[in-house]
Amino acid sequence: MIDIVINPNYCKGCSICIEFCPKHVLQPSQDINAKGYFLPEPVDIEACTQCQLCVIVCPDLAIAVTPKEKQGSRNARK
Amino acid sequence: MLETALKEKKYRGEFIKPGRHYLEGSEACVEGALLAGLKVYAGYPITPASEIMEHASRRLPQFGGRFIQMEDEISAASTLVGASWAGAKAMTATSSPGFSLMQEVISFSIMTETPLVIVDVQRPGPGQGYITTSQEDVMQARYGHHGEGPLIALSPCSVQDMFELTIEAFNLSEKWRSPVLLMTEETVAHMREQLVVPELDTIEIVGRKKPQEMGITPENYLPYGHEIVPPMANFGEGYNINHVSLVHCEDGGVGNYSLKAHRENIERLHRKIEGNVNEIARVESHFLEDCEHVLICYGSVARTGLEAVKEVREVHGIKMGFIRLVTLWPFPEEKLRNLISTVKTVFVPEMNLGMMKHPITEALRDKCEQVVAMPEIAALHSPEKLVEQILEGTAC
Amino acid sequence: MLKHPMLEYIKEEGPSGMRFPHILCPGCGAGQVLNYTLHAVDDLIKEGGAKKENFVFISGVGCSSRLTSHYLKFDSGWTLHGRSLPFATGALLANPDLKIIIFTGDGDAAAIGGNHFIHAFRRNMDVTILCVNNGLYGMTGGQVAPTTLPFANTPTTPYGNIEDPFDLCKLAEAAGASYISRWITAQPMQIIKAVKKGIANKGASFIEVLSQCPVHEHETPVESMNALKEITVPVKKAEGSGKIPVGELHYRPRPSWTERYESVIEKANEALS
Repeated sequence: MIDIVINPNYCKGCSICIEFCPKHVLQPSQDINAKGYFLPEPVDIEACTQCQLCVIVCPDLAIAVTPKEKQGSRNARK
Repeated sequence: MLETALKEKKYRGEFIKPGRHYLEGSEACVEGALLAGLKVYAGYPITPASEIMEHASRRLPQFGGRFIQMEDEISAASTLVGASWAGAKAMTATSSPGFSLMQEVISFSIMTETPLVIVDVQRPGPGQGYITTSQEDVMQARYGHHGEGPLIALSPCSVQDMFELTIEAFNLSEKWRSPVLLMTEETVAHMREQLVVPELDTIEIVGRKKPQEMGITPENYLPYGHEIVPPMANFGEGYNINHVSLVHCEDGGVGNYSLKAHRENIERLHRKIEGNVNEIARVESHFLEDCEHVLICYGSVARTGLEAVKEVREVHGIKMGFIRLVTLWPFPEEKLRNLISTVKTVFVPEMNLGMMKHPITEALRDKCEQVVAMPEIAALHSPEKLVEQILEGTAC
Repeated sequence: MLKHPMLEYIKEEGPSGMRFPHILCPGCGAGQVLNYTLHAVDDLIKEGGAKKENFVFISGVGCSSRLTSHYLKFDSGWTLHGRSLPFATGALLANPDLKIIIFTGDGDAAAIGGNHFIHAFRRNMDVTILCVNNGLYGMTGGQVAPTTLPFANTPTTPYGNIEDPFDLCKLAEAAGASYISRWITAQPMQIIKAVKKGIANKGASFIEVLSQCPVHEHETPVESMNALKEITVPVKKAEGSGKIPVGELHYRPRPSWTERYESVIEKANEALS
């Protein structure tokens, strides 16, 4: 089961994760946080390959994706 | 850690031996610093302070310490802060123009409560001025850095003082987690005279107060808290210390700004030094028991000042007392007031146009009839000249 | 709740209140550089056996320098504008085993810090510098910087910039840095690898990251990151392209200053025997 969690306290709605996801899993949503930022939401979790690219490029450490199994997950960050 | 590394390696450097020596003030300063535990020296050449740097470059590696000549005074002073944060006792020496350049770093080290020692071998200004002697930086010592923030400044008057007060400067810097300035003059740095070194185990060396020794764990550590002088963790000890010079809370936090938190930050820095002025500041005095006038001076002027006071007492029968400010800042106002009941005239000879005369006047305003400044530019007052001015001043 | 893996290294809150999210703007390249650097350091600690307590982060003043203020669960020093390098020099003189990472910006490093920049490289001090270059002074409102492109309109060049910019990597090479690379924020994997190489290099490692500044460029973060892609080219294809080369630009390892000072200590002690 893949979890894609966006922290509403840290996300600033910059959309970099949306742009970088190679599988277009994330899209802007109408969800607005306390600071007035529109949060992204995963619209196609099945397409997620757990590459962790969104996690790596986020300027605010605001997104987390279930890592791949130990030997697999290292490949994403060699 | 540096200390363990040094114990494991064998360095052949030897401290100056107990007994009598004949050497220059600059050299005595470095020997004192080595005894105090100096491990990092960063300097920049400037007359008349370069000799201190040269002695350090030769002696420090003998003890496994590290010396570097930096690209300017700003980086020399900045290097001291980084070294101190990593656990080393660090020092530099400069002269007045370089001292001006170091003010931002001094302000920074007050706010971050970083122990370090800066020697200012004063020379006349403004601008390039000249390369001889002066006491023109004594106000800059306290007020040259931007912002409210007290610090400690000592004024040596002899080669013996260059040795002893350098050690005291390091001790004060560690005890109060503060930069300490050694406000010396070209006269003293370049003077050669006797130095008497006591048995080394009688010399007190103060170490840093560490959170580990107080049983404080990294999770509970408050880098600007626990006590009025906060314990200081070094880089590399796992305490995750974040040094900041923005207004901060005890836990080092710089968000959630409030005027209340701001004032608390600044007021604690003041209480730490000014609130402990009677413990920190030292004065020396002679002939005060029956004095009708008093001469207050500091630095090398104390040498001729004491001569002049003895002469006017013995030859002219004037009941003159003598006070020497060993510590310029924090200004020992209460100590001065306790030493003097009432006098007619306070004489203040300085190698400037009158700087310490201001806090002296403020302190003794109600205890004297007049304060007479005795300015001298770029030269030490001669005893004869002082005697002449005293006779003139006491005649009216 | 699943948390971002690098929050392990962040002081999210302290006794005086929340510290995260950091104060940088939405889509800031400096925030990304923090993320990449933490990934590199995390790898070195978990896979490479590096000791976490030896890492020290030092910064000057500016947006990228803000990263070391009160966020990091590492030793850090948020120092003076332009002076992070001499502070780092001092720390290394006291303890050469420290792994020092510097966050700086183009103004901090090349304007006020220019003198210290060139001397730290000349000395080959063992530091890894992340220079977040957005071509302007972000924190103070977007003023012109020594790296601003010609003709740009900024608050202090309202009639257009008449100056030419530094090539920071060429400056670093001329000054003597032993490892130099340049990337854009849209190259996360390359930057992570470069940071690891920089830390492993015992000497001055300069990593320039061309970054977006969405607020002062009046663009969205993604638009701005794409603009950086347009003006850069991989170094192997740079000749004749008129674009800025990115990639590994220089690697000439040689002994660091502290390594060389060991010979000074030896000589000083031999002379006493």
